[in-house]
Amino acid sequence: METRSRPLAELLDPAAVSSAEALGMHAREIVEGYIAGEHKSPYHGFAIEFAQHREYSSGDDIRHLDWKVLGRTDRYYIKQYEQETNYVGHLLLDGSESMKYGSGSHSKLAYGKMLAACLSYTILKQRDAVSLNIFDTVSRQHLQRSNSHSMIQKVLNTLAAFNPTGQTNIAGVLNEMARQIRRRGIVFIISDLFDDEDKILSGIQHLRFGGSEVVVFHLLDHAEIEFPFEGLVDFVGLENIPKIRTRPREIRKSYLQEFNGFCDRIREGCERNQCHYLRVDTSQPLAEVLSGYLAFRLRTSRK
Amino acid sequence: MSFLNPLLLSGLAAVSIPIIIHFLNRRRFRRVEWAAMRFIELSVEKNRKRMDIEDLILLAIRCLLLLLLALALSRPAWRDSAAGALGLSKVTAVILLDNSGSMGLSDGVETRFELARKAAEQVVDGLPSGSAAAVFLATDAAEALLAEPTHDLNLVRKVLREARLSDRASDLQPPIETALETLKGRASVQREVYLITDDQATGWRQLGDIQTVLKRAGKGEDVQTHLILVGQPETRNLAVTDLSLATGLAPVNRPLRFEVEVTNTGTVPVENVQVSLHLDDGTAADSMVLPDIPAGASRAASLFARLPNDGWHTVAARISGDRLGFDDQRVLALRGVRELKTLLIDGDPGPEARAAESFFVRHALTPVPFAERAEYFIKPQAASVAQLGGMRFEDFDLVVMCNVAELTVAQSQLLERFVQRGGGLLIFPGDRVNAAFYNRQLGDALSLLPARLGSIYGDAKSDEKFFHFQARNYGHPIVSLWRNESAGTLASARFYQAYELLPQEGGTNNPAASSVVLRFADEKPAMVEKMHGLGRVILFASTADIGWNDLPVRPAFVPLLHRAVAAVTRHQDDSANIPVGQDYARRVNAEFVGHTAKVSTPLHEGDEHDLTRVEMIATVPTLTYAKTDRAGRYSIQLDETTEETLFAAQPDPRESDLASLTEEDIAELAAVATITRWTPMTSLRQTVEQKRVGAEFWLPLAFLVLALAGTETALAQYFSRSK
Repeated sequence: METRSRPLAELLDPAAVSSAEALGMHAREIVEGYIAGEHKSPYHGFAIEFAQHREYSSGDDIRHLDWKVLGRTDRYYIKQYEQETNYVGHLLLDGSESMKYGSGSHSKLAYGKMLAACLSYTILKQRDAVSLNIFDTVSRQHLQRSNSHSMIQKVLNTLAAFNPTGQTNIAGVLNEMARQIRRRGIVFIISDLFDDEDKILSGIQHLRFGGSEVVVFHLLDHAEIEFPFEGLVDFVGLENIPKIRTRPREIRKSYLQEFNGFCDRIREGCERNQCHYLRVDTSQPLAEVLSGYLAFRLRTSRK
Repeated sequence: MSFLNPLLLSGLAAVSIPIIIHFLNRRRFRRVEWAAMRFIELSVEKNRKRMDIEDLILLAIRCLLLLLLALALSRPAWRDSAAGALGLSKVTAVILLDNSGSMGLSDGVETRFELARKAAEQVVDGLPSGSAAAVFLATDAAEALLAEPTHDLNLVRKVLREARLSDRASDLQPPIETALETLKGRASVQREVYLITDDQATGWRQLGDIQTVLKRAGKGEDVQTHLILVGQPETRNLAVTDLSLATGLAPVNRPLRFEVEVTNTGTVPVENVQVSLHLDDGTAADSMVLPDIPAGASRAASLFARLPNDGWHTVAARISGDRLGFDDQRVLALRGVRELKTLLIDGDPGPEARAAESFFVRHALTPVPFAERAEYFIKPQAASVAQLGGMRFEDFDLVVMCNVAELTVAQSQLLERFVQRGGGLLIFPGDRVNAAFYNRQLGDALSLLPARLGSIYGDAKSDEKFFHFQARNYGHPIVSLWRNESAGTLASARFYQAYELLPQEGGTNNPAASSVVLRFADEKPAMVEKMHGLGRVILFASTADIGWNDLPVRPAFVPLLHRAVAAVTRHQDDSANIPVGQDYARRVNAEFVGHTAKVSTPLHEGDEHDLTRVEMIATVPTLTYAKTDRAGRYSIQLDETTEETLFAAQPDPRESDLASLTEEDIAELAAVATITRWTPMTSLRQTVEQKRVGAEFWLPLAFLVLALAGTETALAQYFSRSK
């Protein structure tokens, strides 16, 4: 138990989780509520919790007038609601070999696992449902969506037990997922996206067509962003790519050009498809990344 | 094009170093597992060609850099007119400054030596910076002031300023050889010899040899020779060219005859030359006037002086001073003898005095009327072998053995000790002599005998066949008197019978070696002498009486005997008169080894003195003094208890000859050297620099290497920038 709990505990970054709890997990767009039934519009007030009263001012929808208060006090008050809806968070974690790379204390995969764990925890805490899918060329590990309390344990175990082996084929997996996800929800893609950009983007597009909100956590190692190597270096490909010997310092500029071009193309593609793109440097503390993201969500969902 | 350090050319192999490093470096890499390979792939693909080319450029620059460095270190040099553009290269120079006696000639303001010193300083000033110079004083030998070329030219100037004139003779061949030897193997493109001298012809008496070596050095080793002549020709000079004591011994209080020779080395005749003789402190003892001396001729004067007491004295012959001072005086050191106790051991006393073997010797030793004999300083005492028992050799100064058959072993040992301690011994053989005893006991056992007695040749009974002494080539000091034919002849004496003398063989350094004083006309030795301890032994080949020869009745017998007596009793006195520049050496008692003696020289005044140590030289305790550059009187005080010893250094008479080099000689020298007649108005720099056309160009190479190194660094930086 002891040996098992440690990697699990490590997956949940306490700082990240606590800030995430405080901010809550909000769907950027209205997501149909699972509990409330599929045919009710969220705008018609289901899964609505009373939040506060506010004095009526002209132009307000009179549907929201608190008639009881009007009857008792003869004043016009508007009832304001906290709109909540049940949704499914689909976590897609890239488990390909390229994710094993890490120049700092942890690899991109470890970071992705933590991110996935924290997201799951936060979502489940709000009694929303979570599904987990770890993939490389195909889906390797899959946990059906669930909002039960035991789900977090399952998620953590699955994450902890996973070891990457294969190459990446994000595009295929995304298309597959698009077909599988029938209930709309939020799809979290956690990956370095080292694959053909066009295919990735078409996969994302596919998901978006299915109606899901897509959030892309683009995990990048600090060394990949900065390319700080000196001297003569043998670069050994993680995914069966033949090694290359070169003096990295001399090609740094063109590498960064290529690399940033790639990141920019991904970001632009994401923005075109109206999905949220986050470039994550794995040397940043997870809490910062997560709270940054959640704060952003909070802002956008209050529109 | 030549290389001054050709060995370092092997450094060219270093060119392979960057190539090796290049390949080694390819094996030194870091391994990084990397995910974002395709970006690297793309960048490398884009840059590969350029990076390869840049690598090649850097490699080429590094190889070139090492190549040039190796070239620069090997110090290439070329000689042609274009080299002048690269500036004058450094010079390694040897300055030979003539300080022989003739350089002391004054023109009324300055001596030739002072001019030469100024010329030498101008030479130093004319050397390009970074040059090195060695300095030698040139006389008949090279005296090193700075034996190794030094780059400290201020030191060179200082040494030149402090250089002193000497009274030595000049012979420029050895100094030139020394200079060329010093330059041999010097790694410098420009090697120069500066000989600063007067144009005195005697210095160039080996002109042919000098020309040969200079030509060889000029052609083969590229040595430039500059001959700088100072001073104006001089037409007048008088010199005291000889001073000698006519008699062998110098008894006290008796008139001693000194032979003085005055030579007119100028080109005009001189009249009324006053010659004076001075004793010790300078009081004139005698003087005379030589009426006239034609140009180039010598005149002799006989002057007399008395020694007031025994011990060491110096006698100086002087003429009035002229522009060349060193030869206007000549000093002779000699030791006064109060009395000379002589023991004549007669092996054949005969029935009456006249028949005694020692009769002639005895009379020859006291060549004065009978009445004065008691006063005469030589006090002979005859004794037979049988009478020796009651006598001690130590009571005598001299022992003469005349036809002594043999001595007892004890007597011979006493005799050996007597000689060892400084006594003199003359041995005359005869018909009674036991040659086997002489050879075995005196020769082999005691090594007292200068020569083994061989067979007897000739026949005394017949006066038909006889032989003579040699008629010329009197090299030994004892017989040098007869070099002058006016002193009579030795060769008239007839010899009928003699022992064949077989001198002890020995090297020249062997102090026990014997030397032949006089030979017969057929080259057989007639007189052989040998040092033994502090004493000396002379062995004659024939008898002391008229038994085997008629020498005792010849006029030459008395001076010959006296000089032989003088030689064995004051043998040290020979070395008391040395040529200028020769080391003075005197045997002393062993107890003085390690002692320091005070030496006052003609250069020192008052109480000033120099010091020298008594050292063992070839097992002989010897007092030496080497700084005898000046002519005149030297005195040595070993310690307070011992008597002061004097010696005198005498200049080479040839040095007084101021004749100049002929125009033909100068023309011949001009073929192998650059000749400059220097006056204080002359600028040497121009003439000298014209000769310096060779240049080294390691410096530009070194700059090129630096520039390449800079380029390499910049390019490497530029190439390794991020692309």
